[in-house]
Amino acid sequence: MIWKIAKKEFLLNLMTFKFAVGAIACVLLTVVFMPILAADYRQRLKMYNKNVVDNETELRNVIVYRNVKHTIYRPPVVLSAFSAGLEKQLAGSAKIELEKVPELSVTERGGNPYLPILAVFDESLIFKIIISILALLVAYDVVSGEREQGTLRLMLSDPIARHQVLLGKLVAGLITLSVPVAITFVIGLVVILSYPMVALSGSDWIRIGLMFIASLAFTVVMFQFGLLFSCLAKRSSISMVLGLFIWIVFAIVIPNASVQLATQFRPFESQETQNGRMASLKEDLSNELRTEMDNVKELFSKSIITSDKRDAFGGYYAKRRDIYWLNAEQKLNNLTIPIKLKYADKFWDVEHRYLNGFFRQKHLAHRLALISPISTYENAMAVLAGTDLAGFQDFINQVREHRNEVVEYIRSKTDDFSSASFFAICTEKESTEFTRLYVQKQEAKDEQAKAKAEQALKEWERANPAKAAPLNLQDFPWFKYRQSFARDIRAAVPDLATLLVMNVILFAIYFTAFGRYDVR
Amino acid sequence: MIRQIIYKEIIENLLGLRFALSVFLTLCLFAVCGYVFMINHQEQMRDYWRKTNENLSALREQSSVLYQVAFYKQGIYRKPQPLAICAEGEEKALPNFYEVNTFTTELPITKGQANFALPQFSSVDWGLIISLILSFAALVFTYDSFCGEKEAGTLRLMLANTIPRYEVLLGKYAGTMITLAIPMMIGMLVSLIIIIPSKDVAIDAGEWLKILVLILVSLLYLSIFVLLGLFVSSRTGHSANSMAILLLVWVMSVILLPSLCRIVFDVTCEEPTEQELQRRLKESRNEIWDNSARYGKNAGSMSNNLSDPMNNPPARARLQNAVVDVTNQLLQEHHNKWLEQALARRNFACLSPAVIYQRTCEAIGGTGINRCADLYKQVKRYGIDLKEFIRSTDLEDPQSLHLIGPEHNMAKSWRAISHNPVDFDSVPKFQERTMTIGQSLKLAIWDVGLLMLINLGLFAVAFVSFLRYDVR
Repeated sequence: MIWKIAKKEFLLNLMTFKFAVGAIACVLLTVVFMPILAADYRQRLKMYNKNVVDNETELRNVIVYRNVKHTIYRPPVVLSAFSAGLEKQLAGSAKIELEKVPELSVTERGGNPYLPILAVFDESLIFKIIISILALLVAYDVVSGEREQGTLRLMLSDPIARHQVLLGKLVAGLITLSVPVAITFVIGLVVILSYPMVALSGSDWIRIGLMFIASLAFTVVMFQFGLLFSCLAKRSSISMVLGLFIWIVFAIVIPNASVQLATQFRPFESQETQNGRMASLKEDLSNELRTEMDNVKELFSKSIITSDKRDAFGGYYAKRRDIYWLNAEQKLNNLTIPIKLKYADKFWDVEHRYLNGFFRQKHLAHRLALISPISTYENAMAVLAGTDLAGFQDFINQVREHRNEVVEYIRSKTDDFSSASFFAICTEKESTEFTRLYVQKQEAKDEQAKAKAEQALKEWERANPAKAAPLNLQDFPWFKYRQSFARDIRAAVPDLATLLVMNVILFAIYFTAFGRYDVR
Repeated sequence: MIRQIIYKEIIENLLGLRFALSVFLTLCLFAVCGYVFMINHQEQMRDYWRKTNENLSALREQSSVLYQVAFYKQGIYRKPQPLAICAEGEEKALPNFYEVNTFTTELPITKGQANFALPQFSSVDWGLIISLILSFAALVFTYDSFCGEKEAGTLRLMLANTIPRYEVLLGKYAGTMITLAIPMMIGMLVSLIIIIPSKDVAIDAGEWLKILVLILVSLLYLSIFVLLGLFVSSRTGHSANSMAILLLVWVMSVILLPSLCRIVFDVTCEEPTEQELQRRLKESRNEIWDNSARYGKNAGSMSNNLSDPMNNPPARARLQNAVVDVTNQLLQEHHNKWLEQALARRNFACLSPAVIYQRTCEAIGGTGINRCADLYKQVKRYGIDLKEFIRSTDLEDPQSLHLIGPEHNMAKSWRAISHNPVDFDSVPKFQERTMTIGQSLKLAIWDVGLLMLINLGLFAVAFVSFLRYDVR
């Protein structure tokens, strides 16, 4: 009997005007949105590939260890077309350097301050707005409409339990609404797969499957809200008004209000305090560095000459240098680099604490917005697509690990930063010889001795040319981004569970309401 | 007869669930809006006064020597407006800091950081409540004006009277407008009651007038949706169909269209980049320095000792002034390009009446992009005034060379600008001038005209549609 009711409802729903309008709107909007989103993804992917290749080539051209300052890029997520999350707002790159620990930052927007707000939209906008309204429109007159028409009492005059009628209507609604959801997904996938550079891996397909289930769960929640109002109201118009009111509250009021409340209740510190802290740390750092510099000042006073050349990533290396300068700088590096590393961690600590204020605000906003299924659904989609905050934090953690590996690598290769290979290509032997010949030339008493010394210098230079060879990066810890599939699924479980719990609660409520419904 | 229709519509609406829900929702939102605004405004005013006073006291320190007043870079902050409760626009993220001294005005920047982890919503102001919630309520009130009455059978009874159809239409329109105006006015009143007692919010007569104009514009905006509802409801026979169509139209025009237009604009248009500006600045500066002989002999070199024969003070001053003039010109061009792009993007999104309404509110309330651009102009004007003051005060000093140029060394070691102390009270200080009601109206007049045009168009269409409506 349930199936009979379900089939009848389903066929009736398919033939209504409102369903046709809703379904056509979904299809049209998907067809309009998806190409724009896919083109945007393609552009970002191209940029990413170019950046990665450029970086790798430049890294392979680095000559001394000091200039290993490459940038790590985050690959754009293909599922960001379905749920953009924070993809556009957060910067997908971080620079690796000794003096700074990488941390999350905002995208650079090219600088026009009159264009502050990014227009963020994605496929899930269609679900959040169009399909949720469609669900309410389909559901609002399921019970009250039939009562007005008189067919409800005819149906219940059969020896059929009330819960069977309700279940039949629920199943019908589920099937009816899964049609536009499925169509939207399928068309979206078809459009995005038609672009050649888009490749979906196995885990991507599982994510899409889970996103489909989340969308269905969300649609059923909205349908059950409509059904609830239908079971509570005697007339369809009242049920519709209640449904629309709830929709406005869920779609507009609660997301906005949760953000405003979160900013009020957990304000973060002003930027001035933060700047003050950083400035005082910087002063401490320069003081410590100065004491170390004073220690080696004496060594530097004997330095004579250096010739530097440009290296990759905007750095320099010393081509030829006298032995005193070489030794002095080696000692300086040995003393100062550990201090810089220590302070890099301190700076990061301060910055991280400041950013934690932002993240706490965001978590509060998320928790406050859990009342609205629309917000819960949006968050679930962002988590499943991998574009939420946790995804970015995961990326930056991996970048930080990589930086630690690079620092250890450089430390091991340059004997705790004290070897000359950290900043120069000349060995100690070469430097000693170079110094001797150069000093000879300087101290030559007359023209003849000077010419002879210069000749000797030139001959030596010809015999020992400066070998500016790129570093041997065979055992370099190259960065590999591992997108954690299990972590994303685990993170999405609370939101999916919330949707399911809402479903169950709503079912319980309208079940009891219908049990006492006057069907005459 | 029309008065009776209006009366009946009002009573019927007032007694229904729709009205109760809309009043409840709008009152809550207006109250929250007022409260949040009051708290934020207090904090912002405190910050603003603290920073401005810091700037003034630093300026006072500099006024012991005239040329230092000329060179000191003042930091001007944007003053928080009380009318931001009506239309804050995107003010949180728009530039609020301007650096100016006698010679250059830097490009505006935004100081203060927003939380990038949160979704970027516009703040809850009156404009948001009216453009989203009340327009939705307008649709909810009118979606079944004609088809609902037709289903109930009362429409044919009404038209059996000797009443022309247009009077029925007008009656329903007036009744719904009055019904909508009630929650709006009560809400605004509640908001104003919350913010007026606060000491930091000072609303003067001009601003009361602006609020009045805003109320009228809001009613104009809402009447668009009322007429739309009446039109669609007179096209169908079932109220469910009418609701479906109206919801679709509302979602498209108020929620999706602005975002879509912005995206399309962003994708198709190029932004003037920072690198481009720096490159052009470097090029023009190099061009001037390379041809320094154009400005006189030895204009390109300078030694701190004035009596050195190599020095040619007037030529040097000319050279430096040429550099700063070309810099200012390039900065102004860059700023104009920014402004053009931002305004073009907003104009492109004006396919949606919600964006037109927001633009009007910003123009009347004196907030938003136009205000920031106006403030930039005022700051530049202040720079010029400051320069005049420096020049006239400098003339009184017989010892200075009277050469006002942007090179600090020139002023310091050559006494190109007077070294005398100056009375701090006579130094012109920056005062922000808010737009008068006349200027605001002039800015907004096109948008108001556009809204009226849309209204007339929808009224005509609804009129024709209802004339041919089958009421049986």
